[in-house]
Amino acid sequence: MPDTYDAVIVGSGAGGAMSAYVLTKAGASVLMLEAGRDYNPDEAPMLNLAKDAPLRGQGTPDKEFGYYDATVDGGWEIPDEPYTTAEGSEFMWWRSRMLGGRTNHWARNSFRMGPYDFKPFTRDGLGVDWPVSYEDIAPWYDRMEKLVGVYGNNLGLENHPNASPGVLHTPPKFRVPELFVKSGGDALGIPVVPARRAILTRDMDNRKACYWASPCGRGCAIGAAFQTTTSLIPWAKTTGKLTIQTGVMVYEVMLGADGKASGVRYIDKASGEHREATGRVVVLAASTGETARILLNSKPNGRSEGLANSSGQLGRNLMDTVGSSLSAYFPDLEGRPKYNEDGAMGLHAYIPFWDYKNVAAGKSNCTRGYHMEIGGGFGEPGVGGFGGYDGYGPNLRGQVKQRYGARFGFTQRGEMIPNAKSFCEIDPEKKDKYGIPVLRFSFGWSEHEHNQVTHFQNAVKALVDKLGGTITSEIRAPVDAISKGGEIIHEVGTARMGADAKSSVTNSFGKTWDVDNLYLTDGSIFASKAHKNPTITIMALAMRASDSIATRLRTGEL
Amino acid sequence: MADVRNSHLIAIDRRTTLRWIAAAVASGQLAACGEKFGNEDWLAPPQITAKGYGKDPTLLEPVVPWPLTMTKEELAATAALGDLILPGEADAPMPSQVGVPAFIDEWVSAPYPDQQKDRALIIPGLAWLDREAMKRGRERFSHVTLEVRTAIADEIAFKDKVGPGLEKPAEFFARMRSLTMGAFFTTPEGWKDIGYPGNTPMTGPYPGPTQEALDHIKGVIEGKGLKFALPETGRL
Repeated sequence: MPDTYDAVIVGSGAGGAMSAYVLTKAGASVLMLEAGRDYNPDEAPMLNLAKDAPLRGQGTPDKEFGYYDATVDGGWEIPDEPYTTAEGSEFMWWRSRMLGGRTNHWARNSFRMGPYDFKPFTRDGLGVDWPVSYEDIAPWYDRMEKLVGVYGNNLGLENHPNASPGVLHTPPKFRVPELFVKSGGDALGIPVVPARRAILTRDMDNRKACYWASPCGRGCAIGAAFQTTTSLIPWAKTTGKLTIQTGVMVYEVMLGADGKASGVRYIDKASGEHREATGRVVVLAASTGETARILLNSKPNGRSEGLANSSGQLGRNLMDTVGSSLSAYFPDLEGRPKYNEDGAMGLHAYIPFWDYKNVAAGKSNCTRGYHMEIGGGFGEPGVGGFGGYDGYGPNLRGQVKQRYGARFGFTQRGEMIPNAKSFCEIDPEKKDKYGIPVLRFSFGWSEHEHNQVTHFQNAVKALVDKLGGTITSEIRAPVDAISKGGEIIHEVGTARMGADAKSSVTNSFGKTWDVDNLYLTDGSIFASKAHKNPTITIMALAMRASDSIATRLRTGEL
Repeated sequence: MADVRNSHLIAIDRRTTLRWIAAAVASGQLAACGEKFGNEDWLAPPQITAKGYGKDPTLLEPVVPWPLTMTKEELAATAALGDLILPGEADAPMPSQVGVPAFIDEWVSAPYPDQQKDRALIIPGLAWLDREAMKRGRERFSHVTLEVRTAIADEIAFKDKVGPGLEKPAEFFARMRSLTMGAFFTTPEGWKDIGYPGNTPMTGPYPGPTQEALDHIKGVIEGKGLKFALPETGRL
């Protein structure tokens, strides 16, 4: 290992791997530090049977999303690495401790943020605007999507931008439940359109097209479902410029006498040894929570507010996606003809937000938008999927066959507006196994999110009614129906970007206002949390930031 | 051999019966319960202390690291109950033929909270089944006639017809039903029975619904006065 690098990058997920890819391609030497172990999706159990897994693969406290989920050494709880929540708050924090981070198991839903999403304050006076517009980011979405591979199409829908011609892969055909919901949506003016997901439907570079089997959350050894461990990281390695250290917890950014970041301090988890890594630029992409934690724990010259926090915004503006769901049963679909409905193992169709006109006119109780995901059909039977039956014997088997494929679910994924109740800070007492002070989360929804749940529930009721179905889940009050903070695993915003140093932590390139060579390229820099899933926006912004870093390295500015 | 087993059975039964009488007397409900001793004597089985598989198990070659704990008698009752819940048919084997009892053993022996909760319901539930069978047919549940098993099940299997004081056995039955079904329909035989044709890699584009499936959904949609339409292709 050389003593110093052009760039030290903390994290190997969507942001860190994109930064490493762009920088090494530009000729920079990069050290990537990852808290988890090395991982390669060759160990993904793609077609393994639930029957062969302990408890039929059912989730347990060891593997919360199921035995075969790709997540290694992570989950809602990690032994030795606790976090706390403030009294009266609930917050769930999903972490992966593995090369590639959470990109190894994400749903691959890849919706671009639109023009409205970058200027929310201008539209309704809530939250803040981003320091960039959609037009600024559009070319980066194109470049990123071309590299990553995203299926979908271009329908020119309001606030749901088209990709440039030739960028997208052909989306898979709709399946029966999706065609059925579309017929109801068409009658109600609710769009049911092809989804966008980071899944190849044609071979590309070293990766294969989707073969229409195996849950994407297990990891994709053929490379069809995007994850950094089959793409950005191996590609960066081929430059010969990338050094990866796994099993190391970064806890502090070091600041030189010149006010610039000189590198990071970390703990080798196996030996417990403290070490330093130095570079011309430091890039934190450790995840929204961990990036905030590292900066808050970095106290140069004894400054208690942490590093890059002259605005006081560090740790604040914590947001997650609004989630709720309803399931419904459709008697007309009982006993429908069987066929292989696995497809891309996720959304072929979805419902983008459609009610902008009413929102703008003040005729909707919904302040910000959401999208609906549709799930269910002839899926693989799961051990936990057989509650709610009655009786026994031949009649029971008949009921099972009758109901199979006639039930599906609607899921809300909505925008949260930042609020003063939701933030993270350093717990004054608790430390993890390595002696690093842990995060304490505070979280609360506001009436905006609760009203959005009502809007969703009403829309599902109308759709299900139109289709002659019955809602089978309890329609709970929004305050009970809404997800817990963090539960949707879209947490963003703890070091938001902005137009000035007073109200934000970074500029539009993720460069911290306070430290010229310290960059953030994960979800922490989001200024708002649009209903669109954050991963591709993290990658587009990371690509843009890293391109800027590469230029500054080349010109000697850094 | 059968005699030896039976005497062993009776000994256990007498012991559990004594425990049950003690519990019922203590709760003052013995007289009121008459012959139906459902909710009492639901004695918690010993806790599992084994370790789980941890946060980083080998995914490609899964192993169940915890010891199995069910007795031969509990496994026999599980098998008999499972086969009553989902009896075999011409094209479908019985749950006991595809390893469902062993799976339920794996389940109740697992060291995780959900499974431990089920264990506290299932192990005493299996003992209850045997006691009921003893009372009605002088044999354990696995040995009594189908008529006796059916008579027992009929009092606890239908949510609107649960016998008085049998709420706990009914809860036990419902859990065994969902576990048995879940275990059965996750086997290749179960996939075939329910008609799940997936987990099959293919090359080329996803073929989508068959013509038969398309015709069917078109009929359903148009039958509701709605319009059947394939999605707009848009531009790539």
